[in-house]
Amino acid sequence: MPLPISLTDLQIDEVLRYMGTPPDRAEPAIRKLAEGCARELLGVVRPRWAARTFELTPEEGGVRLSSGLLLPGEDLKRHLAGCRRAVLFCATLSAQADALIRRAESGDMLRALALDSCATAAVEQLCDQIELELQRQFPGCFFPFRYSPGYGDLPLTLQSSLLALLDAPRQVGLCASASHILTPRKSVTAILGVADHPIQASVRSCLGCPAHDGCQYRKSGGHCGIS
Amino acid sequence: MEFLELLKTGRPVLLDGGMGTMLQARGLPVGAAPETAALEHPEWLREIHSAYLDAGSQIVYANTFGANREKLAHCGRTVAEVVPAAVSVAREAARGRGLVALDVGPIGQLLEPTGTLEFEQAVDIFAEVVEAGAAAGADLIAIETMTDLQEARAALLAAREHSSLPVLVTMTYEATGRTFLGCSPACAALTLEGLGADAIGVNCSLGPREMPPLVEELLRWTTLPIVLKPNAGLPHPDGSGYDISPEEFAHSLAALADLGVQVFGGCCGTTPEYIALLRRELEGRTVRRVTRTVPAAVCSGTQAVPIDRVRVIGERINPTGKKLMKEALRRGDVDYMLNQALAQTEAGADILDVNVGLPEIDEADMMVRTVKALQGVTDAPLQLDSTDPKVLERALRVYCGKAIVNSVNGEAESLSAILPLVKKYGAAVVGLTLDQGGIPKSAEARMEVARRILERALALGIRREDVYIDCLTLTVSAEQEGAAQTLTALRRVKEELGLKTVLGVSNISFGLPARPLVNQNFLTMAMAAGLDLPILNPNVDTMMAAVRCYHLLTNVDRDAREFIAAYGNAAVSTSISGGGAAPAASASGGGRGLAEVVEAGLKGEAAAAARALLETREPMDVVDHVLIPALDKVGADFEQNRVFLPQLIQSAGAAQAAFEVIRESLAQRNGGSVSRGTVVLATVKGDIHDIGKNIVKVLLENYGYTVVDLGKDVDPSAVVEAVRRHAAPLVGLSALMTTTLKSMAETISMLHDAGLTCQIMVGGAVLTPDYARQIQADFYARDAKESVDIAKRVIG
Repeated sequence: MPLPISLTDLQIDEVLRYMGTPPDRAEPAIRKLAEGCARELLGVVRPRWAARTFELTPEEGGVRLSSGLLLPGEDLKRHLAGCRRAVLFCATLSAQADALIRRAESGDMLRALALDSCATAAVEQLCDQIELELQRQFPGCFFPFRYSPGYGDLPLTLQSSLLALLDAPRQVGLCASASHILTPRKSVTAILGVADHPIQASVRSCLGCPAHDGCQYRKSGGHCGIS
Repeated sequence: MEFLELLKTGRPVLLDGGMGTMLQARGLPVGAAPETAALEHPEWLREIHSAYLDAGSQIVYANTFGANREKLAHCGRTVAEVVPAAVSVAREAARGRGLVALDVGPIGQLLEPTGTLEFEQAVDIFAEVVEAGAAAGADLIAIETMTDLQEARAALLAAREHSSLPVLVTMTYEATGRTFLGCSPACAALTLEGLGADAIGVNCSLGPREMPPLVEELLRWTTLPIVLKPNAGLPHPDGSGYDISPEEFAHSLAALADLGVQVFGGCCGTTPEYIALLRRELEGRTVRRVTRTVPAAVCSGTQAVPIDRVRVIGERINPTGKKLMKEALRRGDVDYMLNQALAQTEAGADILDVNVGLPEIDEADMMVRTVKALQGVTDAPLQLDSTDPKVLERALRVYCGKAIVNSVNGEAESLSAILPLVKKYGAAVVGLTLDQGGIPKSAEARMEVARRILERALALGIRREDVYIDCLTLTVSAEQEGAAQTLTALRRVKEELGLKTVLGVSNISFGLPARPLVNQNFLTMAMAAGLDLPILNPNVDTMMAAVRCYHLLTNVDRDAREFIAAYGNAAVSTSISGGGAAPAASASGGGRGLAEVVEAGLKGEAAAAARALLETREPMDVVDHVLIPALDKVGADFEQNRVFLPQLIQSAGAAQAAFEVIRESLAQRNGGSVSRGTVVLATVKGDIHDIGKNIVKVLLENYGYTVVDLGKDVDPSAVVEAVRRHAAPLVGLSALMTTTLKSMAETISMLHDAGLTCQIMVGGAVLTPDYARQIQADFYARDAKESVDIAKRVIG
């Protein structure tokens, strides 16, 4: 089991963005609500993660992990160009996050929205910390940004195979539903490429954003301001 | 010797150790399904089983941990191929040397409410495994590595209904003493023993060093033999194995026989070497015999509530005399019940009574939906309340935990219909002291009925601790001598029969003035007479105050902590005011107008502002000329980025509070409804991201539309059925994942095929206007605000 990671603080501006409010125009009461919900959420979640390193072989139609699993599609293959290895990891905030949001939803939708946004921010921060931890384990190496099923042409149908490689149901209590949704909901699977030589810098953009297609800013033709 | 006989010897019983790592050592690739070994490498399994039998295992687990149809589908195999092959090879190895357990692990998908798998589907998946295993000659069933008590229940129920084999059930816990899904050993013990397990315990989880607290908790809550099958300690951070040597494993695990553990084995990281040493350590040891008496208690999947003090049962989820709840039931709206539940637990209810009986609805279906929804939002155990045994059985099946059944009475028919259900599902039961002759007048006659109920319950194997007697409250204005008889009977049930007692107290004051005074005093008298479980409205402060005072004065509330926490800062009024219960309308000083309150999103002031307005204006006038224009203004500001989603929801919340007042006022004079028309909403099959749909619901409701909310993961046919039944002119469907868009398309084409004339709007993260057209939706709603615009266009 990897080292436990605890979340102590959430970036409230990020939470406000997920709530559909530009941080600089958020009313004090909304900011306060977001802060309160962040504390409440962090008080109940039990972040867990699992990771495993594989050798990579690019081939026709995708890139193959040394376990034998083919990760299909061109986008990930391009993304991992120059990486001989990759770390597959999963992270979850635990079912307690879902329960807290569910409880709020039946009474106060604004709190539910705030809690849901806090949880989205929290799982991203959890992944950021995992990524740092993993980077520490590969000194002198270079890393493109983490990549998840659903980005580009990497299919969501891959989720249960990825979870099986990590023994995730048993190790961290993370499963995929019949329609390939991760449950508990506030969870992520991701692939972090590891290159021994410098690679072309790839910037995390809307493509790698958890809000990508559902983004309020993109829907209205704008951008959140984070590159 | 058979498994149950082995248990009866009182001597330690030895299971086997890990399977996965043994298979990988022989060449099974990482991530591959271990279950295929039965077909592709039976010789591996023969070797492994034999090695464990040589080491001293009396029972080996067949290699069927993940052999259910959901997991096997990933490797193109079926249960009918894998299970018989795996059981046969284990039986060959164990012939004359030991027993074979059919190993049943988790399905690999989470059940509702965290996941989407339905309880009965899970039972069905397990039933297939159980039948195949029993037919192949397994000697017992070992359900293991469960983290969700509901999934363990599904497997156990399948084992009991589809075989006659003994069953042991073990769950896996974290260092916190809970499973990933929050189940404690206490909840597992109360529930699984009730449902008929033969032995229960812990597997996987942690190492033997972490077992004692889990064992101690199990011992407090079950009389069953305890099973431990832990890992070889904690895994090394680098994944290179586990941190406990075979010697230490054997030594520290065997020592737990002194606590009373009887069945031993190993899980991840353990090998025949561990088991051989464990056998040596167990030799000559006896299992400590402790007389265990499990106190009266009920539980949910996450919270155990011992009846060791007065526990309040909240009575509010019951349509009797509640127009709004009746309306909600007719609409199939479970949110009403969820709000009632949360308000009651916040006020101090320990257990919630659930009654959804209404002549014109399908009570069983509604009960199942309500119980499922309630256990998604509250940890409080439930009391399932119906007069129909069929409704009770459906509810008991899906209820995760140990419920209370309300109720059985002394009539022969009731006893024979209800008590077997109580036994089968391991519930507690309320016994009403009445029979075909009605409610006996004298305390002695009620005692007689109580004795009859108890006798029948005991004869069926129901524990004495699980029978709660209700001596029945009679209205004191009609039969003044009745109150004393009730209290006498209650005291005698408690003292002479030693049973827990339950009593609905509010009826006592019917037809009298100052009812709260009468209720509170009767409650206090009843508690003094030995009442354990008052059924009452916890939102009435004086009732909860009586309970808190009772706990203070009987030294249950040590150091007055709870009392001070509740009243330390409160100005308590002890007077009874002349008027009704409703707070005065001028709470806000009559300051702000309703429009202003809604625009500012001031939920707390909205009800008072609406009441003030209703004094001079007609309800529909308030809706059309105050509420809707205010919401429109906020909506327009939202569209122009002057306000954002949180403010939109805040305004909707304020409008909702106002609407509740208006609805009540209309319901009271039976003057029709506020509804402008019905919209059916659903998050499509397979999708569980429903926060967007819920925001849409709030907005639509606050524009006066009646929303039939079917929830998330909704079957296409359920949408069709709801549109037809409610003759809804508009349907809203949401999906958040690309993988569930196809169920949206399916739902739409099914609506079209059914020839329904409704219009369809769709929304959700991955949708685009183009795709909406392509799947033949009539409208694409970019956000919640736009869904209201669409409703206005379609319905008006």
